[in-house]
Parts: sequence; structure tokens; C-alpha cells
Amino acid sequence: MSLELIDGINKIHELLSTNIEAAWVVSLIEYVLVGLGFLTLYALIALFLIIFERKICAYFQCRKGPNRVGPWGIFQVFADMVKILIKEIIPLKHNDKLLYYAAPFIVIMGSLLTFGGLQFADGVHGVDFNVGVFYLLAVSSISIIGVMLAGWSSNNKYSLIGAMRSGAQVISFELSACLSMMAVVILGGSMNLSELMAAQNDVWFIFQSPFTVVALVIYLIAAHAETNRGPFDLPEAESELTAGYHVEYSGITFGFFYVGEYCNLFINAAIGTLVFLGGWQALHIPGCEGFNQVMDAIPSYIWMFGKTLVLIFLSLWVRWTFPRLRIDQLLKLEWKIMLPFSLANILLMAIWVVVTNN
Amino acid sequence: MIKYFKDIFSGILNLLKGMKVTGKVLISPAVTECYPENRDEVKPKERFRAELTMPHNENNEHKCTACGICAMNCTHQTITVNKSKITDENGKPKIVLDQYLYDIGSCIFCGLCTRVCPQGAIEFTNEFEHAVYTRSKLIKQLNKPGSKKVEVAKPAAPAQAQQDKPAAPKQENENNQ
Amino acid sequence: MEDIKKLLAKVAPGKQLAEGTQYPTIELEPNEVRAVAKKLKEAGFDYLINLTGVDYTDALGTVYHISSSTNKTEVVVLKTKTADREKPVLYTVSDLWQSANLYEREVYDFFGIRFIDHPDMRRIFLRGDWKGFPFRKDYSEVNDTPTTNVNIDDLETLPSITLDKDGRIVEKSTQLFGNNEYVVNFGPQHPATHGVLHLRVSLDGEIVKKVDPNFGYIHRGIEKMCESLTYPQILPYTERLDYLSGSINRHAFCMCVEKAAGIEVPQRAQYIRCIFDELTRIASHLLGWGCMAMDMGAITAFIYGMRDREKIMDIFEENAGGRLMPAYSIIGGLTKDVVPNFQQTIRDFVAYMRESIKEYHTLFTGNPIATGRMHNVGWLTKETAISLGTTGPTGRASGWSNDVRKIAPYAAYDKVQFNEVLRNTDTCKGDSFDRYIIRLDEVLESLNIIEQLNDNLPSDGFSVKVPAIVKLPEGEYYQRAESARGDFGVYIKSDGNKNPYRVKFRSPCMTLISALDPLCKDEKIADLITIGASLDYVIPCADR
Repeated sequence: MSLELIDGINKIHELLSTNIEAAWVVSLIEYVLVGLGFLTLYALIALFLIIFERKICAYFQCRKGPNRVGPWGIFQVFADMVKILIKEIIPLKHNDKLLYYAAPFIVIMGSLLTFGGLQFADGVHGVDFNVGVFYLLAVSSISIIGVMLAGWSSNNKYSLIGAMRSGAQVISFELSACLSMMAVVILGGSMNLSELMAAQNDVWFIFQSPFTVVALVIYLIAAHAETNRGPFDLPEAESELTAGYHVEYSGITFGFFYVGEYCNLFINAAIGTLVFLGGWQALHIPGCEGFNQVMDAIPSYIWMFGKTLVLIFLSLWVRWTFPRLRIDQLLKLEWKIMLPFSLANILLMAIWVVVTNN
Repeated sequence: MIKYFKDIFSGILNLLKGMKVTGKVLISPAVTECYPENRDEVKPKERFRAELTMPHNENNEHKCTACGICAMNCTHQTITVNKSKITDENGKPKIVLDQYLYDIGSCIFCGLCTRVCPQGAIEFTNEFEHAVYTRSKLIKQLNKPGSKKVEVAKPAAPAQAQQDKPAAPKQENENNQ
Repeated sequence: MEDIKKLLAKVAPGKQLAEGTQYPTIELEPNEVRAVAKKLKEAGFDYLINLTGVDYTDALGTVYHISSSTNKTEVVVLKTKTADREKPVLYTVSDLWQSANLYEREVYDFFGIRFIDHPDMRRIFLRGDWKGFPFRKDYSEVNDTPTTNVNIDDLETLPSITLDKDGRIVEKSTQLFGNNEYVVNFGPQHPATHGVLHLRVSLDGEIVKKVDPNFGYIHRGIEKMCESLTYPQILPYTERLDYLSGSINRHAFCMCVEKAAGIEVPQRAQYIRCIFDELTRIASHLLGWGCMAMDMGAITAFIYGMRDREKIMDIFEENAGGRLMPAYSIIGGLTKDVVPNFQQTIRDFVAYMRESIKEYHTLFTGNPIATGRMHNVGWLTKETAISLGTTGPTGRASGWSNDVRKIAPYAAYDKVQFNEVLRNTDTCKGDSFDRYIIRLDEVLESLNIIEQLNDNLPSDGFSVKVPAIVKLPEGEYYQRAESARGDFGVYIKSDGNKNPYRVKFRSPCMTLISALDPLCKDEKIADLITIGASLDYVIPCADR
């Protein structure tokens, strides 16, 4: 599919450039088209993940989950989407209106920007930076500003506590997430995602060194914590702060936070897949040609989304099994356990690279 | 230092054990009952108190003497017994039941009324689907139109004996549905 | 008994024990109560079971049921009354027993008796603008349903009265929170308050500084309603106090009436009642376990608890005809005999439950996150537990042996072998984890009891005939029972009519809620939730 997609894009480009003289107009139209494509993908992924989580969590809890709207309840999520679109946005008194309404957009923006840097299949990506990994890490942290603004501008004590917790949490776990990825950057020798993909053509990074396994575990925990989900849902903590930072939001403003949360789940899993699990690369065993050819027959986007889904499933499993951490346990986990481990991991990885390259 | 690593690894081990439990449930069948679909298979237990009824026999006769003890005992004024005095063919004054009204909206299903009834004229059945669109429909008339009291020489059982009676005769109950 | 008489003669010289009472009872003048209470406290009577307000028509009074943590089986009753109905005052005992704090507020709310030197004489259940004191027999004020949404209650000004040097009453008031405190409302609508409890929490960042529980959102006046109902009519309401141990409450009330009326209940009925009590306890602990897990964020564990609780509900439904409110015990026995396959069902359930408990331990008890959140949080020392009257699993987790099933065995509990589950008998203080694990241990112990009772079920009938109208002889009756949350008590004062003169239910939950403030001080917000869940209170029980 990815090849057809690229062909299609090339055809559109030819069509546009033959009919329109000015190059910048062509580029502009193309950017808008690509943007629309990402928006659609974004919405579809969020919708899919919502129903996926609801079903999976139901099975963990010996329930059946949504099963009334459509076969296996798959249209439930569309019904919910329509519901949330037509719900009233309740205006608040005594709050900072500008920040209050800007916050959901910042959250959405943060995760949407990340989509541009991801690679979805062989050759299907928005931009290919030379500092792709760095870009992904940088923009995926923008949404925390939205969360903080939401908590502050709601003029609600619960949401303020939730936002403060969120700030402490994301900033701490960002460290581990970056450091664990640095280990892979050392191994791959580049920050460019395409080059990292190429380096994983034969063997995924996860199988190249024992330290990538450690890095992956640390990355998964840290990324999970950054999404404010699972045992790390302190900012929302429905049994403590009712809903935390978005307690005062209703209708689609709440929907933005909700969609943003699920897309962040996807983004974190996708980054993990790209950096550690070979992204859209098929599973290859060096020296085993027949097997490699069979694996290559599977399209690259299936590899990408399949691996991402496995990581998402792992994240859901964790979320629906464990209780929530307390704020001091959370910070202890980061600063006393994960940070030393990831620093040591980088060091060991560097030694590994030096030793094996010689 | 050793304790630090030991704690981490035992912690991870215990977390994985917990995930094993949920993982086992993930692949075992759900316990959810899909209610409207399994209406035919899943019935409440025989003794389940869901709705007060007044059993009528095949001649459209009930056992209620309109004494009103049930209404007196009900703490929520759920039962209203409307009765009238008539003179029977022998010229004796007689109290007959006009309307036996039961407001299921205020019933707490304590079972006091059925226990105190000297005649055993009312009983709880399993009909649990009470949802209606208006509140007025929750008030039900238990005696059927045109029904009358069954003619028995003497009430068969005194008040307390009712308790000792086994569960309501199911057979009769179903005939009257 | 003789020891107690000697003791009472020592603490209250010149006072005669009242005749024909269930417990040794002395009547005191209002100004003597404090001195006698203090001496009793020093003599080891450190557990105030209950404090009941009574309107004697000519006077207003209070009844104190006092017991001891060392001499557990002994109960002493003190009584006092004041003839002043305009501005009745009595002396507080809230500095001797902390549990008296809420009890005295309740007496003030219902009878208008103010307690000298009580630090907090706010109304507890009714609104601040409520006219009159509803439990007085001459209560006739009409209170309209409020139609405006104006906040009338001043929740932060604590009125109190004290005596000056000349013995005159002086009104005082203190402020609950300072001006600069960050006060957050938890509830009345909050996912973790287990009902409509309103907590006003003063915070310093994440740290809880002070908790002020605010009751009455589900106050239904059940005790007042009971005064106009016959005894069989009261039974359904007992189940609606603490809806999670409904069977046990109902059993306690039945026992109280049966004891007063001299009704002998067949052995079979007593055995079955006990089995149902223990099933209720298991169901309640399962819900408590699940809710605790859910409050800590593990929703899956909650669903597992509910899944297994459903099996108990099915047993209730099959035998009693009700699920949450089985309505099985009646005065004189049971409504119906158990179904023929009852014993087998119970055997299957016991086996199933033992397996489930193992699963719970793997899922949650072993989880380092869960244990990390429960260990070293919310320390409750034995002394505080006794003083606060936090009975049941909460007290036992702190090493206070207070199981009424052992202290004053009722029904069939003296015929079975079981251990009172205790923790920390040497350290004498328990944390949230102790309060958590003790519930699962109690479930196992309850399974043992059920197994023994179930295997030896007598066959001497399930009910005896009682008169259609039950009348109790004049007097006061008290019955204790071990509900899932602790010492449940029924106090009935009868004047010989078919309606009771005064009914008071000793709610184990009210004292549990009063433990929130001392336990949560200097803990985090997340711990407030864990501690609340580990206390496992039920609000309708506290509000009544």
C-alpha cells in the first residue's frame, strides 16, 4: 500500500505542478493536503484506540465491553463522538477565558506535531529530519503546557493540584525517556529516523544489544507515565481529584483532552516501535533467507501498526492491573531507580558500541 | 545496595504475577449476562420478591377479604384497599373488595404484607420488569375486574401458619398470568 | 459481676444499682457524671460503646454504655437527666472518650442538650437553620423543605459553652480553619467518599493538615421513624442502615426484641442466621477490598471483588428472596427455611472463595505499588482506637481485641471454633495495610465458621410462632452484634406499647469517620483516600 500511496502522492504533485505556475502555491496546497491527511489519521487512530481500550479493559475485567451499537459495539465510539460534539460547553465564571480555551488546543497541537515526525511505513512520513528523534521528544512534551494551563485557568482547586502533579511527573519522566533513547542513538549512530530504520534492516535494535532491552523497558515505563495513564494517572486520579486538570471541561473541549490522551498513547508506542523494534522493518533473521522473504512479503505498514498495537496492548495490560502510585512513590521511581539505571545504561551502551565496532 | 536491587527485582516479579492474574481473566470467558438476550435462560430464583400479586383461581376468584391488615402493616402506604359494604343474599352485611391498589414505586419489597395476610391472598412473584413510562402506571390494581372472593367456609390457615407455608405454589401462579 | 458492683460502689459511693436491668446501671445527677466517668475511665473502662439521648417527657437525659478493653465482657450503664427543657445543659465526657465528641453532637442535634466544655457544638445531621429538636416528644415545629440554594450552614464556626468562675454559662466560638488555609471540599459527591460524606480538608500542597467530616446528607431519621412503627415494621429499616451488613443489623434487632419478649428461637434458625451473617460479612469485606483497590486506582480488582460477591447475592436471592436486602430474619426465626440444596451450595461457595482469596493476594496484596501505598500510612494506635471507639476490623488491626462474637457470643457463635483475627498485638498500632489485610483474613475465618455451621445444621424448625402484635415489657434493652464494620448496637427503650419509646442504633461507621482526622494528619491527599477506604465506612450507617 505504501508504494501505491507514494505513487499517488507523486501523481498529485505532477498534476499540481503542471497546472499551477507558482511553486509556492503547489507546496502550500500539498502541505494542506498532507495536514488534512494527518488530521484524519489522527482522529481515526484515536477512535480506534478508544474502542480497543474499552474492549480490552472489559476482557481484563471479565466483562464484555460495549456490545450494543453495531457488531461487537464497534460503532459505540462513533456514537460517543457525535455525543461529545453536540454536548454543551459549559462556560465558567471567574476563570482565565483565553488560557482556558487555548489549553485543549495546545494539548492537541503537541501530539499532532509529533505525527509529522513519525514514519508509518516504508517511505510514508511527513518530514525526515536529521534530528528526528530529538524532534519527536521535543514536540511530544508540548502537551504538558496545555495540561498546566488547563489546571491553572480552570480556577478549581482539584484541577490545580492535578496540573501541578502532572508537571512534576512529566518533567521527571521525560528525562528517562530521552536518556533511554540516547542509548539507541549511540548504537545507531544517528538521530535521523530513516537512518535508524536502515540500521535496523537486518536486525532490530532490540536484538542488537542487551542494553537496548533495558532501554526499552525504561522507555516504556517513562512513556507510559508521560501519557498520564495507568498506574501513573495521578493528574487525573479519579478517586482523589475526581478528574484532575480537566475537571471543569465539558463537551468537545474535554473531548480534545480525551483524544489527545489516546493519540499520545499511540505516539509513544509508535516511537518505541520505530526506535527499538525496527519500525516498519520486517523481522529478519540473518542467514535465514527463506524466512526473511516470507516476512518481507508482509507489507511494512502492517509491521509498523502491528508492533505498535502490541506495545499499546502491553500498556493497557499494565494500566488495568496496577493501582495508582502516590506522588512520592512516583518521583522515587524516577529519580532513585529509573534515572540511575538509564544513565548507567548509556555508559554501558557506549562501551558496548566501542568494543563491538573494533 | 543489594537490597536496592533485590527490591527492584522482587517488585517487578510481583507486578508480573499480578499481570498473570489479569491475563488469565483476559482469555477466560466473561461473566456478563447479556440481559435482554438471555431472558429465556436467566430467571430470578423462585423466592425472589419482585412484584406483589394476588393469585386468582380459574373461576376468577381471589382470597382477599379486604380486611386491610396488609395496608395497615405497610410502612410506605404502598397498598390501598378500597372496600364497600354490601348486603348479601341472606340479608347479612358483608364487606367486599372493590380495588386492591399496589404502588410498586414506593414498595421496598420487605415482604411484611404477605407475612401478615391471614388468608394468604397476596404473594410476591418473579416478574421483575417494572419499567414503565409514567408514574401512574406503577400503581397497579391487583384484583382482576369482575373477580370475587373465593367461597371457603373458614380461612384455611391462621396468620402465623403462613410463615410455615412453603414457597408460593408456582403452578397456580403461572395459570393466572 | 461482683467485681463490677464493688467497683461501682467505689466510683459512685452512695448510689444504688437499678433493679432488673441487663447491665449494672446507676443513675446520677448531671454534675456527678463527669467525676464518676473519670473514675471509671481510670479503673479501665476506656471504651464508650454508646451514648444515647432520651426524652423522659419530664426530663431530658443521656445513657452511657461503657465497656473496657481489658475486661471486655463487662458493660456498665450510667444514666443522667436534667429537668430543664428550655436550655438543658450537661457536662461533656468527650475529653475522656474521643468517641463522645460525635455522640454528644448528635444528642445536641436531636434533643437540644448542650454539653459544657464540648469543643464543637454544631448540629451534626440537620441543617443549621432547622427549627426545634426532633427527637423530643413534644416536638411540633414545622420545617419546610428548603427551596433556595443558599448555603445557610456556617460550617466553620464552632460554638461551645463553658462555665466561668461563678458557675455561669458562657458562650464561646472558635474558628475551624485559619484565614489562609487552603480548604478543599471532598464530597458530598466524590468518587472515593463511599456515599454522600462531605469532608472539608485543609491542605498544604499535597499534605493534609486537617479533616472535618460533615454528616447528614443521607440522614433519614430512622430512629425517629422507629418510634411510630411496630417492631416487625422496624425490621426493614435496620437493613437500610448499613446496607452492606444488612442481615447482621436485622439479626441484632431481632435478637434484641426476642430477648426482651422472651422468645426462644430454634437452633436451626440461629445457625442459619449466623451463616447469613458471615456471608454478609464476606460480601461486605469483598466490596470493601474492591473499593479499596478501586480507590487506589485498580479498577479491575474491584470488578473481581464484585464478581465473587455476586455468588453470595445469588445465595441470598435463592433462600431469602432479596439480594442486598435479604429480609430473612424475622422476630421468632426466619421467613422461610433454606432451600434443599443449600448445604451443597454453601460448600461449593466456600471452596470457590478460598481460591479467590489466593487470587486476590497475588493480584493486589503482593503488588509493590499497593503495599507501598498502604504500609506506614495512617497509623492508628490501640489507645486512640479504643478512645475513638473504632471497633471491628479497624480496631483489631491495631491489636484491640473487640470482636463481639467472642466477647458476648450470640446466636450460634458459642458453638463454633474460630479465632478472632488480630494484628499487631505487640506493637499496638496498625497502618492501612493492616486494616486491608485483616479483612481478607477475616473472610477466611468467616469461611471456617460457615463450614462448621453448615455441616452441623440442626433440624428443629426455622421459626416459632410469635403473637401478631409484639409488645415488649417496660424497660431498656441493649443488644450488641458484630457487623462487618464493628460493634453494632441496638438500644430499645420500651414503655410497654407495641411501638418502642426510643430506639438507638450504635453505628460503627460514625466512629470510623471520626478517626479520619487523627489518621490523615500530615499524610498526603492520596493517603486520605487510602485511609478512608481502609476504614471502610458506610455513610447511611453513620447518618441513620
